Amino acid sequence: MRRDVQAIVLILVGGAVLRITIGDTFLNYVQEGMRPWLLLSGGILVVLGVLALIDVMRKGRAAADEETPHDEPHEHDDGHGHGSGGPRAAWLLLLPVLAIFLVAPPALGAYAAARDVANSAPPQEAKAPPLPPGDPAPVTVAEYVGRAVWDDGLTLDGRTVEMTGFVTPDPAGGWWISRMAVACCAADAIASKVKVLNAPDLPADTWVTITGRWVPGGGTKTDTAIPLIEVDTLEEVPQPRNPYE
Amino acid sequence: MSAPSEQRQRYRPGSLEILAIGLVLLIVGQRWLVGLFDDPALQTGATIFVSIVVQALPFLVLGVVLSGAIAAFVPASFWKKALPKNPALAVPVAGAAGAVLPGCECASVPVANGLMARGVAPAAALAFLLSAPAINPIVLASTFVAFPGEPMMVVARFIASLATAVIMGWLWLRFGKAKWLRIGPRDHLVGTSSWHTFRLTATHDFLHAGGFLVIGGLFAAALNVLVPQQWLSAVADQPILSVLVLAGLAVLLSICSEADAFVAASLTEFSLTAKLAFLVVGPMVDLKLISLQAGTFSSTFATRFAPATFVLAVIFSLLVGWWLLT
Repeated sequence: MRRDVQAIVLILVGGAVLRITIGDTFLNYVQEGMRPWLLLSGGILVVLGVLALIDVMRKGRAAADEETPHDEPHEHDDGHGHGSGGPRAAWLLLLPVLAIFLVAPPALGAYAAARDVANSAPPQEAKAPPLPPGDPAPVTVAEYVGRAVWDDGLTLDGRTVEMTGFVTPDPAGGWWISRMAVACCAADAIASKVKVLNAPDLPADTWVTITGRWVPGGGTKTDTAIPLIEVDTLEEVPQPRNPYE
Repeated sequence: MSAPSEQRQRYRPGSLEILAIGLVLLIVGQRWLVGLFDDPALQTGATIFVSIVVQALPFLVLGVVLSGAIAAFVPASFWKKALPKNPALAVPVAGAAGAVLPGCECASVPVANGLMARGVAPAAALAFLLSAPAINPIVLASTFVAFPGEPMMVVARFIASLATAVIMGWLWLRFGKAKWLRIGPRDHLVGTSSWHTFRLTATHDFLHAGGFLVIGGLFAAALNVLVPQQWLSAVADQPILSVLVLAGLAVLLSICSEADAFVAASLTEFSLTAKLAFLVVGPMVDLKLISLQAGTFSSTFATRFAPATFVLAVIFSLLVGWWLLT
């Protein structure tokens, strides 16, 4: 890979990172806290690329064609991929750039949620504290699952709760309100699912905010249990700024 | 060295032309191409692929900047002063130094490569390569957060990882062959000034390591979408098998060491010892790392170093897990 192409690849990769970070697209992939690091690293790549381009332009076309200076004969067969100048593996860096600009992968949705056999993780405390005050009380889907499955619905009984998630069709009929929880990046997302009762069928990946009441059923004390909620109100909403919990 | 004047006389389409034509075709065909990616499985795979690359990129950039800075601004004599002269002593010192310097595993390969190019004994640089991503403060803190009821998990991770790194360093000292290692072209990349050397080194390292990160991300995304999760829960009940499976899973998934504790914590069916194996193996041996090592040092090196590290890491996970976590 020639020097000028290397420079363009650096600018494209850095530009793609900046493009998703300025705006909220990066929240589909990683957590909010990564923003300054993404801006910094994207900026560093663009600056390195621009400086390399300036080098090339100063020295003219001859310098661009020149192989990297360590191009000694023994390096051609080392499997290192340097034979024709820069590292050949660098071409692969165009793949994430293409994915970002062409595919624009969406936040994980119903397909990933349905694939996840386990439903959320057991909560850390054995006994959950009471729900926050408010009617309805706002909860995350994961929190609802934790309280319903690992605490027998103890703290949910008699309260009206509100939660936001997307529609994942239940193969047995009806649908689950679901949300992915991300520990670090979308690659380690874990689904939380709650079966909704008394709600009209909606297409997969529709975002909704529901209020409703806990009803017993769906199993307890196992991470494959899917608790139930009796829906009072249902409203279709746009995808939240951060699609993950 | 080829003569530039000779090359300029005959025209051949170079990489710049190929890149330009490719980009034009993509822009023209964008609408049609986007339609190809409408499948939810493909989109899920693409999301996982992009998120792994995006999550790892800042760590990678930090790592190549650090290794570029070491190459350009730190005189070779510093390393000879900082580490004990005797390589057998330098190994544990370098291994323990990993506990101080935060660095992702993708970054540790170019950093270790830079250390070797600056005259550090390969055995010590390799001990650092293994320990830095496994036991640095950020990783230990994330492990502590991920296992709130199990503070011994942090201790077990630290001990098993450091032991694996130091023993691997000593094994290299005893059995390693210099010809397996092709230490990168750092010293060849000398610019007109320290700043120029820094830029050349960082650029080269990033392009190189980044390509291999992409391979790892593709593999992990494919496995995430293609392997049914039911298969995982079926093996969790077998004590030894579950340790081997989670160790193997760590190799396949290639998750950054800063993140893997949360994934391990989410594998609720598995024993603590199996999760420990996941946390000890992952930062030292995984697909992304193997391809990075193969690309940086040579595939001869990677095919020897990675399996040996894997075996040692599993043994130490079993021992330390049996000692501290049962």
